Amino acid sequence: MTFLAFFFIVVSLLSFVAAQLILKRAMEATTTTGFRNAQFVSRVTGGILLMTISFFLTLGLLQRFDLSYLYPFQGLSVIFITLIAAIVLKEKLNTRLAIGALLISVGIVLVSLS
Amino acid sequence: MRHPSTQRGGYSESIRLREDGGALEKRMQNRPSGFGNPWLQLALSVACVLVSEFLLKRGATEVADTGSAWSWTGLNGLASPLVWWAILLIIASFVSWLYVLRYIPITIAFPLSRVVDILVPLGCWIFLGELISPLRWCGIALVVIGLALVAKPIAQFEERL
Repeated sequence: MTFLAFFFIVVSLLSFVAAQLILKRAMEATTTTGFRNAQFVSRVTGGILLMTISFFLTLGLLQRFDLSYLYPFQGLSVIFITLIAAIVLKEKLNTRLAIGALLISVGIVLVSLS
Repeated sequence: MRHPSTQRGGYSESIRLREDGGALEKRMQNRPSGFGNPWLQLALSVACVLVSEFLLKRGATEVADTGSAWSWTGLNGLASPLVWWAILLIIASFVSWLYVLRYIPITIAFPLSRVVDILVPLGCWIFLGELISPLRWCGIALVVIGLALVAKPIAQFEERL
């Protein structure tokens, strides 16, 4: 794998993670501010834009690598989202949740490798 | 009288989902019921993704033309009605997912949504007769244990409601 391929895999993964966190924040805010405000629209647009970037980067990578090679990287999104949500969104992360997320990630990697 | 194990906001610290003074727990307590139940929506979102995966696979195979350079883009798949049904399901799944994010912490909802990663191989095994290797069974077992660990605190929380 070249440095460029690794770079695009990381960018694709991070844009997907960032999109999920932005969408989470946008949807949470709707419980107090509703849907008709500029902040909600900009956050959802940003989230969809980042998901689109991640989708097309993945599509481009799929043309060069096997799905079984790329899918384990997708499995890492569980760990990334769990950790970053705990830091950024202040969601409670205890040992049980962290181990659970880790097992799911490792399980997805094994499922996609075999 | 307040139960000795409960803290501010009426919830035990051990099942507190976020350090925001119980705001998230209150929102979950006031969540809609019936079709609007976020857990039902999470299940619907997963089901939509699951069915869409099978439709995409079947639709793409139906109209496969690997000789064409354009086939790399996947655009020729749009010729199959099954692919269009899959796209509709993906949109429905996204809408359900946004609704889920409104009520459930993402540290719980996202890992739980990955149940689809084991449902796809299990579906292939049950419905398409595909074989599952021992390593893949190990992966499925790890995901199931992980899901159980993640679901436990939320199950405790639900019991309190």
